[in-house]
Amino acid sequence: MTDEARYLKALKEALLEMDYDKMKKAAEEAMAAGIDPLKAVTEALSPAMVVIGEKFQSGEYYLPELIVAGDVMKEGMEIIGPYLRGKGREPGHKFVIATVEGDNHDIGKNIVGTLLSARGFDVIDLGVNVPVQKIVETVQEHRPEILGLSALLTVTMPKMGETIQTLKAAGLRDQLKVIIGGSSVTPEFAREIGADHGSTDAVDGVEKCMQWVSAAKGR
Amino acid sequence: MVAMTRRERILAATRKERADRLPFIHWWRHMQTGWAERECRNRGMGLAWARPSHVARMRNVVVTEEKDPSRGPGIVRITYSTPKGAVYVDEKREPGTGEWHANRSWMDVTPWHVKRLIREPQDYEIVQYIVENTEYVPDYFPIEQAKDWVGDEGVVLAVLPKTPMARIMIEWIGSEEGRFYIHHKKYRDRIDALYQVLSQNMEALYEIAGKSPADYVWIGENLEGLLVSPPLFEKYFIPEYEKCCRIIHGHGKKVAFHMDGRLNILKHLIAQTPIDIIEALHPPPMGDLPMDEALRVWRDKVIWVGFPGAIYSLGTEAVKEYTFNLLRAAIPGERLVIAMSTENLVSNEHLITLTSILEKVDLPLTEEKIDNIRKALT
Repeated sequence: MTDEARYLKALKEALLEMDYDKMKKAAEEAMAAGIDPLKAVTEALSPAMVVIGEKFQSGEYYLPELIVAGDVMKEGMEIIGPYLRGKGREPGHKFVIATVEGDNHDIGKNIVGTLLSARGFDVIDLGVNVPVQKIVETVQEHRPEILGLSALLTVTMPKMGETIQTLKAAGLRDQLKVIIGGSSVTPEFAREIGADHGSTDAVDGVEKCMQWVSAAKGR
Repeated sequence: MVAMTRRERILAATRKERADRLPFIHWWRHMQTGWAERECRNRGMGLAWARPSHVARMRNVVVTEEKDPSRGPGIVRITYSTPKGAVYVDEKREPGTGEWHANRSWMDVTPWHVKRLIREPQDYEIVQYIVENTEYVPDYFPIEQAKDWVGDEGVVLAVLPKTPMARIMIEWIGSEEGRFYIHHKKYRDRIDALYQVLSQNMEALYEIAGKSPADYVWIGENLEGLLVSPPLFEKYFIPEYEKCCRIIHGHGKKVAFHMDGRLNILKHLIAQTPIDIIEALHPPPMGDLPMDEALRVWRDKVIWVGFPGAIYSLGTEAVKEYTFNLLRAAIPGERLVIAMSTENLVSNEHLITLTSILEKVDLPLTEEKIDNIRKALT
């Protein structure tokens, strides 16, 4: 095994084991040894996150493992990230996600964000209780391919429709797909408010996003 | 045969005996006072009222509240100062928070926690001190008063806080941005120590509620299978449910756990627990465990269904259709109580629609009876 392969293996193992200390050590050592940071991400961290995402989808892992893995990866990226600048990483698909105003629930939103990050998306997470205007401004600024809106409460769900209407009024609606999620969301409701897809299931939502970007690539 | 009272129906179903009609209820805290609720109650809708049976007192802990507009509108910082240090929580209180629902809109029954009590590793020791210095005194007046007021129209439940890990996870650390899981990975020993202390501390609460004059004890667990994975449930929840039920059963009372989340992933583990009443089960589309499966998997438990609010948003016809399907899945209609909502106020129109079906549900329920109810409505 070459030195490079050994460093990449250590990074991948640290993430698969979800070990903060090992990740810090592996990332620091890899960068100190001059390992290509792009390779560290694309050949070690991203494949490890794909494995974790697959285990989540197959039911072997649950939300705690998914979230902790995402956080351990973040720890590694804080060390590797500065070395990546100027390395010409190909930008991923942009995905903006938010829990709408009046609602502070974020479990589903976090799962979708983490899984899409693992699939190579650049996820812009606006957090919870996000006003419509803030979402629209973010879309205007970042021009994502997909916008994800989340709401758990039946009384906050209309905010998702309001967001879509505001996107329309701003002339932005046709430039992106809108996916909505939350345990009260139904396909009928999604259609009614003009969303492209509605789901109560994070994994289904992620698959839909993957289909959309694959179809766009194929065009 | 003399018809049962609304209270007798709820009690019979919860004893797993056959009531004359399917009990259906509205929770007092979600109920609008007016012509529709009066009409529905006259037509058989019962009441369920959950009230506290204790008062908590803290020793050596100074609690202060502060409103600083620079933190944002409606934000109140509650600081708990102890000899070990201080922790605080920032609450967002919208107009009407903490008031009886007749004085407010449905929203903000409880305040949002904008900043949680536990954020840093050093916070655990302080919160543990607070728990160790919290004691409980029985105060049965709210229960006695509610029983007097409700009479034969329904039942009264003694409210208890969430069990220790649910409280630590949902209220004190919070799941936002996965914080609980990250803490559980990084500071496991601190979480476990706090859990042990809180578990011991809550034994007194189980005793007080068990001895209260309430019909049942109700724990506001808010169990959500997405948040609580099976390994977490087995390690932290099942042992506590066993202890809680052992103590409360010792006083001859049944225990209801508020479980309104997605429970499919936990259904077999829940079946192993001695819980008597699964309260607020939300069948799909809001939950992920269908009615018939829940009744089949939890053969020794009683289910108090929470009618899914998402269905109300689809209109009257959808409410009717959903109700008939729910009833079909519940045949013969035993071990079942239906609540109009466990989430929101319900519109007059929906309250009347649901009542117009449920008032006709004689037990045992059959396909034929359901068809007849449908015909009678059209």
